[in-house]
Amino acid sequence: MECCGPGYASPSEAMKAPREEILYTIAIYTGTGIQKPDYLCTIDADPASPTYAQVIHRLEMPNIGDELHHMGWNACSSCFDDGSMSRSYLLVPGVRSSNIYIVDTATDPRAPRLHKTIQGADIKSKTDLSAPHTVHCLGSEIIISMLGNAKGEAPGGYLHLDRDFEILGRWENSMGDIPFGYDFWYQPRHNVMASSEWAAPNTFMPGFDLEEVGHLKYGRRIHLWDFEKKEPKQTFYLGEDGLIPLEVRFHHDPDSTHGFCGAALSSNIIHWWQDGSGDWQWEKIIDVDNEPHPEWPIPVPGVITVILLSMDDRFLYFCNWLHGDIRQYDISDPHNPKLTGQVWMGGLLGKAPEVNGLQITGGPQMIQLSLDGKRLYVTTSLFSTWDNQFYPEIRTNGGCMLMVNCDTENGGMEIDPDFAVDFGKEPNGPSRCHETRYPGGDCTSDIWL
Amino acid sequence: MTTITLANRGNTTFEVTGRRPLLDELRDQGVDLPFGCKYGGCITCAAKLIEGEIDQRSQVALNNRQIADGYVILCVARARTDCVLEIGTESHDRLYRNPFLDPLEPHELKADIATAKETPDGLHES
Ligand code: FES
Repeated sequence: MECCGPGYASPSEAMKAPREEILYTIAIYTGTGIQKPDYLCTIDADPASPTYAQVIHRLEMPNIGDELHHMGWNACSSCFDDGSMSRSYLLVPGVRSSNIYIVDTATDPRAPRLHKTIQGADIKSKTDLSAPHTVHCLGSEIIISMLGNAKGEAPGGYLHLDRDFEILGRWENSMGDIPFGYDFWYQPRHNVMASSEWAAPNTFMPGFDLEEVGHLKYGRRIHLWDFEKKEPKQTFYLGEDGLIPLEVRFHHDPDSTHGFCGAALSSNIIHWWQDGSGDWQWEKIIDVDNEPHPEWPIPVPGVITVILLSMDDRFLYFCNWLHGDIRQYDISDPHNPKLTGQVWMGGLLGKAPEVNGLQITGGPQMIQLSLDGKRLYVTTSLFSTWDNQFYPEIRTNGGCMLMVNCDTENGGMEIDPDFAVDFGKEPNGPSRCHETRYPGGDCTSDIWL
Repeated sequence: MTTITLANRGNTTFEVTGRRPLLDELRDQGVDLPFGCKYGGCITCAAKLIEGEIDQRSQVALNNRQIADGYVILCVARARTDCVLEIGTESHDRLYRNPFLDPLEPHELKADIATAKETPDGLHES
């Protein structure tokens, strides 16, 4: 189907898009000791280019200390029918400062430029929200999960912006009795949104005190929302099976009700769906065992910090940030996932301290998959304060990005030997790379109406 | 006015009024300091107090162990007396710890959840 708006008519159309030539990746100096702004990198991903696998542009933000983290587009395939919209702006929030940078990627895609800044102070005074996390467009408007109120206390709420990035206020009509916010995803054909729980900014920002989990300062629930009424309607209490549920993904197929979430600390994958009688059910489908460590008195949990679904909804990918492995599961039957691939890079278990001649500091963390499902880009930093706790050497070594080739026929993964971006060698000193997006949309950016 | 000495910046000294947070007073005088949230909740601006007294009642970032180790949150801290500080991430040697290997005692948690420490003679301190 030919149309005029951004994105693709369907997930299967998206899979046929041309290969990504550049990547946009966040790199941070917050918490590193280098007094420079965080920045948005453009990375050359075209193997025919002489600058392949290099940072070819750096857009510094106007402030220091933002902690850029996740980002999202002003428009996605949810506006495919709207010829007045285009995917021209990347919204790049700073989770510590609450500043949100609107970056123009259309004028010169290889050298994005700052279009506008929404000041954190403005957001706080107009909406009593702080700590922006996930950005999703919503037809022609934008909502952003905000993890705290202006004082950094949970549960925060959702910031609503119009198409010109003006603050409209809060999106939700009610937070119900939701104690914490984090990630969200919506599936409009079923009038449902799912949200997960990290913790209050004042809890997670200074670092991870494990004891606070027992004091109920971290999340253990997934919430389903009535998307049109903008209020929560059902909660899955996951308990010990779902400690710190982070990334939330529905199937890309807009007709599906299946969704998935990675519970970071429990190191489980949670699956939910609507059954034949219209009730929402959940189950644990993957449980990563804790692993013994040569020097630790206790076994190390995997800590699943990210999950992602391929555009055809066949493969689930996730990282065990502390173990150091990336896994690929065939989830054609979402109730019975089958492990089809696994690669190692960094991590605490010492299985792959060096890859492609690079010393890996940190473990596999944020991942982004090409639309055709064949290339998975992976970075190593989680969050500045948590990096400093688990991988203190990242201060001097910086983060890195690798690419994993994925077999979409039979399953399987292999780290590409020719792709490595070493953020330890950045011009201003070692920085840490986090989330990646592609100009044309990717496997975590688009939603179909 | 009180005098702030920066021990790890060649003992340079700065006069501050105590009316605004130390982060602002020192940055205004050209000291390059890390910061993030600026409301005392994210720990990015932590420094180590070597000597002196500081009012940091509105900080919510530090647990009791970090406070016992001398950390102060500059974006909300005001000097009560002359102080000697170590600043920047070089002062963060004890700020971050692996929570699996080095757990906190109940009295070392953040103030709102910490329990009083049992002492041998039955007295409590927090
Ligand atoms: S800047 Fe966040 S605690 Fe001071």
